[in-house]
Amino acid sequence: MNRRQFLQLSVAALSALGLAGCSKSAPLRTGIHPWIGYEPLYLAEEFGWLPDSVRLVKHSAASDSMAGLLAGELDAAALTLDEALRVYAEGVPLRVVTVTNVSVGADVLVVKPSITSPAGLRGRPIAVELGGVSGIMLFSILERAGLSTDQVSLVDLPVNRHLSAWQNGDIEASVCYEPTASVLEQAGGTRLFDSSQVPDTIFDTLIVTEAAARRKPGAVRDLVYGYFRGQHHLVRSMHDAVYRVATRQGITPDSVRRSLATVMLPELAANQRYLAHHGRIEVVAKRLSGILVREGLMASHPVYERLCDPSFLPRSLS
Amino acid sequence: MNRRCSRTLILVLGLLSGLWAPLAVAKGAVTLGILSYRPEPVIQERYSLLAEYLSQETGLEVRLRVFNQDDMNRALASNRVDFFLTNPSHFLVIRSERSLTGVLATLQREWQGRSTGSIGGLILTRAERSDIDRLADLRGKSIATPGIHYLGGFQAAALELRDAGVDILRHNRMVHLGNHDRVIRAVLTGDTDVGFVRTGVYEELTRENPALADELKMIHVQSLAGFPFAVSTRLYPEWPLVSLPHVDSQIVRQVASALFALQPDHPAARAAGLAGFSPPADYQSVEDLARTLRMAPYDQVPRVTWVDVLNQYRIWVLTVAVLFVMLVVTSLWLSRKKRQLATEERRQRELIGSWPQPMLMIRNGELINCNRAAVDLVGYTSEASLLGKGLPTFSPHAQPDGTPSLQKADALIRRVATGEVAQSEWLFVRSDGSDVWVDMTLAPVYEHDQESPSILCSWYDITRRKYAEERQRLALRVFENAREAIFITDAHGVVMDINEAYSLITGRDHKVAVGSLPPMPMDEGSAILIAARKHGVWTGEFASRHRDGHAIVLSLTLSSVFDEQGQLSHFVGVFSDVTQLKETEKQLRTMAHYDSLTGLPNRVLFSDRLQQSMAQARRQNYQLAVIYIDLDHFKPINDAFGHDAGDGLLVEVARRMRSTLREEDTLARLGGDEFAAIVVNVADQQTLEALLVRILTKIGDPVWVADHSVEVSASLGYTVYPQNAELDGDQLLRQADQAMYRAKREGKNRYCRFSDSGS
Repeated sequence: MNRRQFLQLSVAALSALGLAGCSKSAPLRTGIHPWIGYEPLYLAEEFGWLPDSVRLVKHSAASDSMAGLLAGELDAAALTLDEALRVYAEGVPLRVVTVTNVSVGADVLVVKPSITSPAGLRGRPIAVELGGVSGIMLFSILERAGLSTDQVSLVDLPVNRHLSAWQNGDIEASVCYEPTASVLEQAGGTRLFDSSQVPDTIFDTLIVTEAAARRKPGAVRDLVYGYFRGQHHLVRSMHDAVYRVATRQGITPDSVRRSLATVMLPELAANQRYLAHHGRIEVVAKRLSGILVREGLMASHPVYERLCDPSFLPRSLS
Repeated sequence: MNRRCSRTLILVLGLLSGLWAPLAVAKGAVTLGILSYRPEPVIQERYSLLAEYLSQETGLEVRLRVFNQDDMNRALASNRVDFFLTNPSHFLVIRSERSLTGVLATLQREWQGRSTGSIGGLILTRAERSDIDRLADLRGKSIATPGIHYLGGFQAAALELRDAGVDILRHNRMVHLGNHDRVIRAVLTGDTDVGFVRTGVYEELTRENPALADELKMIHVQSLAGFPFAVSTRLYPEWPLVSLPHVDSQIVRQVASALFALQPDHPAARAAGLAGFSPPADYQSVEDLARTLRMAPYDQVPRVTWVDVLNQYRIWVLTVAVLFVMLVVTSLWLSRKKRQLATEERRQRELIGSWPQPMLMIRNGELINCNRAAVDLVGYTSEASLLGKGLPTFSPHAQPDGTPSLQKADALIRRVATGEVAQSEWLFVRSDGSDVWVDMTLAPVYEHDQESPSILCSWYDITRRKYAEERQRLALRVFENAREAIFITDAHGVVMDINEAYSLITGRDHKVAVGSLPPMPMDEGSAILIAARKHGVWTGEFASRHRDGHAIVLSLTLSSVFDEQGQLSHFVGVFSDVTQLKETEKQLRTMAHYDSLTGLPNRVLFSDRLQQSMAQARRQNYQLAVIYIDLDHFKPINDAFGHDAGDGLLVEVARRMRSTLREEDTLARLGGDEFAAIVVNVADQQTLEALLVRILTKIGDPVWVADHSVEVSASLGYTVYPQNAELDGDQLLRQADQAMYRAKREGKNRYCRFSDSGS
């Protein structure tokens, strides 16, 4: 028995003894990485709106949070829906407790001017980071264009190397996001498609593990409440928030404003709708897992009865 | 109302409206009011170009007026202003008072090439104040501010301090100085410890006077990339430019378009430090701020009605109500049960307390409860003197059976602890030292919270029974061990029980005696039973016979015993054997009447016999003679041969005289050598004298005493009875005595008759 199994068994034994919910012992470890949609959590932390029951574990990329969840080192994380599904498929049951933002133009398809429609992508080399959310974006575009992945040439490439590939002429299209998108446009590309054209598809969420939802419901509520207070500040006190976000991300306040324009930050009522049983998130999740399995990015469909759990949403912000 | 009246009214209204209009918008002229957040001349100088720019762009005359907050409020109240520019907090107050249409544009400030639409607060203190470094250090310090309705100059900082736990409205001395320059001055001069100013003021002042930067220190500085000013608080939207409702919409549009068209590099913008104007910002965050701080216009706590509470917390109210009702019902039920229990307990307590039989409760060997009767039994005054003590405390050291009380009590309690019911007689010593016997019963009582049972103990006072038993035992012992024979018969005199002495005296053992009659006098028999029944007792002596045949004399006391109805039920007889006593009595009597030496009657008996004989002689009319005999020369014999010889002589002489006299005559020794005789039925003188001669003869015969033959003689005097005079016995004997002396005188060994003449 290794240490982790032992710990899991101990935790299971403790919860069997009815000691569940004693979140005093360990805080809810929440993985997070920089993204405009997750900024409310950073703001909440900055203003002290996250109690001791929640601890943010800051990573530089989503992959770290995913690894942390799989390793059992995290109880919760901020991830896109498809990332969450991948973690689920790897064997860590999760619940989506909050939709932080919906991408409305943050993800972009930049093409050579010769391509004028999605259908024109047939046979063209497309740079895409398949492991990330861009993959979903691309699959959605191809689905719209009536193309299959076989009919295009996929180049799996991290976004930060798209510019050089573009300049070398290795690719004729790129699925990317800011700031790469603007750079490619300056290099002669045109925006053919962005995520605002596939509304309600690319979701960023807060997810918690099934175990944490059972054992630390109070801490999960604290996390969600803190998030919404941060979101309130970001939206309602934008005059303050943009400077704080800019400071953290090292960009100008104007860039922050532009970034904010590419995401929708659903409020409480919208979250209730999204997370409802057979609501938008569960519908999209089914479609996404279909695509991910089909494209071989995920071994199998995660098995769950309910993916979303709106019960942790606060009734109101007061 | 008639036509004329209405016309007058219209006229008046027209005049009024005519008077009204010129106040605000004189022909083609508008007034722009600006809050003097800095000294009036500074504001005037900076914004005059903006007024000019607006005049140019709109073709209207735009007059610039600079007000402090109070003046601006007054100007607004009298509609002397058409547009105004003020800080957002002030705007909220004005808006709540005036129901304004809203914000036309939000000011964009410009500083050293960077523009911003945000405003915050800056907290300043003197550079040397090392005691003020953090927000928390502001607690209790004096603070200079431009006024309460300033966003950067007051409210923004107040929120940060509130979050840091410092309630400046309550804990700090606040000085409201009207504008930011005065705040800075107050801090520099040390009038206050701290000052609050809006963002940008510090930078403007240090540009005018760079030395200021060294004299002042900023507290809680935020690091906000891209924000051109130093700031201590979070940020809010900049000042709004507001149009008043009375301004013509055409003019509003003209002014608005001119404002939006203002470029950052325009001299008017440069002079005012502006980057221009942007579309109205969302002032929600400022409202939230005022709400959080409970400041005007949100300083009123909303009235919450019961219906609101009910609507909001319906489930809770319902739950609490249900729980409350349940609580009340349960409490009532419980209190009723409690009362019932108390009544029952009181009844039981009284029942046990007043129960005449002593009852106690024992736990761990100690009395924990007892009733009044128990206290009384052991002679104490209160329960308290019993409780907490053990049974041996009230007992003698050892019980009558010899076991120490302590040991016996322990043994009993141990027995009861095993579940038995124990019973024992027990001796207590009362507080006054007297003994009390009780029959003690101990029974276990199991209480559910006790491991070992308590013991219920009851006492039954058997002292009287014990004493009766004692008396009975004593009586039995008396009965059995008495030297007197005791018997008990039934009403008919048939013996029911006898003691041992009975058997000894009568020779009849228990078996024989019981069922037969007791010994009774032969002649009277059962008559004594009747006597005893009649008089209660019969006493008497009688002769009886031992079973073996010898005679016994019994002295019997027979008592009758009556039952409670006064009916005779038993006889009790006590008798003793007085045979021996009777014998002794007889001997004693003999000794009293007879001379021990000769066996002859003595003087006492002689007198007695003489009386009897005299009476008989009188009755039967015969003569009797009394003879006095005195031996002659007896003393020399006595001296010569000793007393024994003398006694022997006397015995012999007495025998001879006795044998000479008849049976019916009496011879008595009166003492020494003197004798007397009564001769009854004397026929005549000759017979008598013949007798006297015979006596002298007999006496004169030699007597063998002490191996010697001696001869004695006697002198006799006699008299007869009756005589002429009535005489008693003594006189008669004296007569004989006198006659004897005459015989002596006449020569002894002769006899003389008493004669009166002779003496």
